[in-house]
Amino acid sequence: MRVELLGVPRERAGVAELELQADTLGQLLAALVVRFPALNKLITPEGLEPSVVANLNGDRFVRDPHTQLKQSDSVLILSADAGG
Amino acid sequence: MEDPTSFGYHGCYLRIDVSQGGVERMPIPEAVLRQFLGGSGLGAWLLLEEGDPSIDPLAPEAPLVFAFSPLVGSPLTTSAKFAVVSKSPLTDRINDSLASSGFAIAGKRCGCDAIVVVGRAAELSVLIIDDGHVRVEGAGDLRGATCPATQTGLKTRLGPDYQIASIGPAGERAVRYATISHDGRHAGRGGSGAVLGSKNVKAIAVRGTQRCEWAHPRELTEYSKSLSKRSFGPATAKYRELGTATNLLTFNRLGALPTRNFQSGTFEGAAEISPEQLRTTHTRTRASCAACTIGCEHIYARGEETGVRLEYESLFALGSLCGVSDPDSVLGASRLCDELGIDTISAGGTIAFAMECVERGWLEEPWLTFGSGEAMLRAIGLIGRREGLGNLLAEGSRRAAETIGHGSIAFAPQVKGLEIPGYEPRALQTMALGFAVGARGADHNRSGAYEVDFSDKVDRRSVTLDAVHRAIETEDKAALMDSLIICKFLRGVFGDFYAEAADMLHRVTGWDTTADELRETARRIVGIKRQFNLMAGWTLDEDTLPERFLNTPLPSDPTAALSREQLGVLVAEYHRQREW
Repeated sequence: MRVELLGVPRERAGVAELELQADTLGQLLAALVVRFPALNKLITPEGLEPSVVANLNGDRFVRDPHTQLKQSDSVLILSADAGG
Repeated sequence: MEDPTSFGYHGCYLRIDVSQGGVERMPIPEAVLRQFLGGSGLGAWLLLEEGDPSIDPLAPEAPLVFAFSPLVGSPLTTSAKFAVVSKSPLTDRINDSLASSGFAIAGKRCGCDAIVVVGRAAELSVLIIDDGHVRVEGAGDLRGATCPATQTGLKTRLGPDYQIASIGPAGERAVRYATISHDGRHAGRGGSGAVLGSKNVKAIAVRGTQRCEWAHPRELTEYSKSLSKRSFGPATAKYRELGTATNLLTFNRLGALPTRNFQSGTFEGAAEISPEQLRTTHTRTRASCAACTIGCEHIYARGEETGVRLEYESLFALGSLCGVSDPDSVLGASRLCDELGIDTISAGGTIAFAMECVERGWLEEPWLTFGSGEAMLRAIGLIGRREGLGNLLAEGSRRAAETIGHGSIAFAPQVKGLEIPGYEPRALQTMALGFAVGARGADHNRSGAYEVDFSDKVDRRSVTLDAVHRAIETEDKAALMDSLIICKFLRGVFGDFYAEAADMLHRVTGWDTTADELRETARRIVGIKRQFNLMAGWTLDEDTLPERFLNTPLPSDPTAALSREQLGVLVAEYHRQREW
């Protein structure tokens, strides 16, 4: 599935998007940290740090590591704080 | 027992009539300080105490309040802030705008918790408060000077230890969204600069030596160190590493980036003006307000030119909202607004509205087209001077729509007259509620309801009644932060904000304040603003959004639709839960 990084996650990883395989959000996050160790302050073994949130396909925001993913999903990982 | 107001507060405010140059030192009862704290809360109380809410906001007798807070001058990070509170000439409702840095510290050292300015000076003047002693001097030589030039000129004239808040040419000409500027920061929204200009005051210069004592100084220092340390953590990383401007690509991806006067939620030129792109073509430096450890300011420059501080709100308003994808035009427009003393959100919103009117053939200004950075810069200059079309646009989009007619009020991007910030209401519907009910109009600083939309608690395109109490929570929290005052960029740092706020207040003032008491205080502060508005003529009909948002799905995302009935239900539930 496609993973898009925005905000601080993009800054830390140094890429805007990539392809990953995962059945759940937790699996995807674990794979991201393996690929980009610099994300380890934002993604902990428990899931997303509160300043970061995930979004499915530009629609629904999710945090639960057990959230099921489909191969056709685009998963966005972004800064949770939208303050301007 | 010691007088509790000897800690954190001076227990009084200065009431200055610039017509006569007279000053009175007015006591503030401790009960009032405890009920309204400082900043926005104390400012709102003083506004009601000092003036008739039905008054013309540009009349000499209309009060303009500069309110400090118990935390100002303390070692607490981000606490160097002040609130400017008045009736808004843009909305005719209450307006409280916050700014940061040395003016707050120096103003409080004048021996007061607030400064209330009334009257009208005989000539363009500078109000000088030197350790509590007040004088009014002519400032005719500064007529037409930009905000930075005014502050530089006055520092040269008065001395470098003065801190100066000033208006630019826009404030002198009563542009209804003129700002008050200090050290590159702005009390930006709602036209407080026009209010100061209406008093013939170009600037206020303050310096002082009167420090407040802290009730528990050692414990305060310990807590301040802990808070500063936490302020370097992930909760503030966005602001520190990228700045607010990084919202642009996120909002664009989510279809929530206001574009071409809210005719789309995505902008094809977003990448070109994004900070991620800007830093490949421009140098970027960081800065921070006095007493701040976050350092959220990201300043962009090309070559040898002076840098421009760029925030998301300026970027959206002068970029996507006007369809402008040329980064130098956006940076130039932001700089011009800062120099003239104009709120970038209202400037961008009003210009974008005018661009759509031109497109529809209702305004004969063919040069003013979406996407033209040159036209946008020209329009801002005209607004600052109130020349030609600028005289109409200086009134804001609501009044401009009333003049232009053709039912254009349906797409004037404002609530209660205040132009809408960079959050597309149809795609972020908890924020839509926050905009609709906001005491000062459409506002992202007094309601943080976008936090709810950016969570797994609601469906942001179809919110239900469950969103209402969450929106209220963000409004209450903002009211308390704006009254303590402490920067909202710290909000993610706190575990239990109200408990920590009570702890902070205890260490500063000695009060045994509880978290529950502060929750009540927050509600009281939201309530007093509403009370002012009621006395100024507010009606329930004002708590809504322009017709465009209620009868047209977002063209770039038809699933983002909000009906009048839906919003009405949310607003009614908001009022029910507020018990108003």
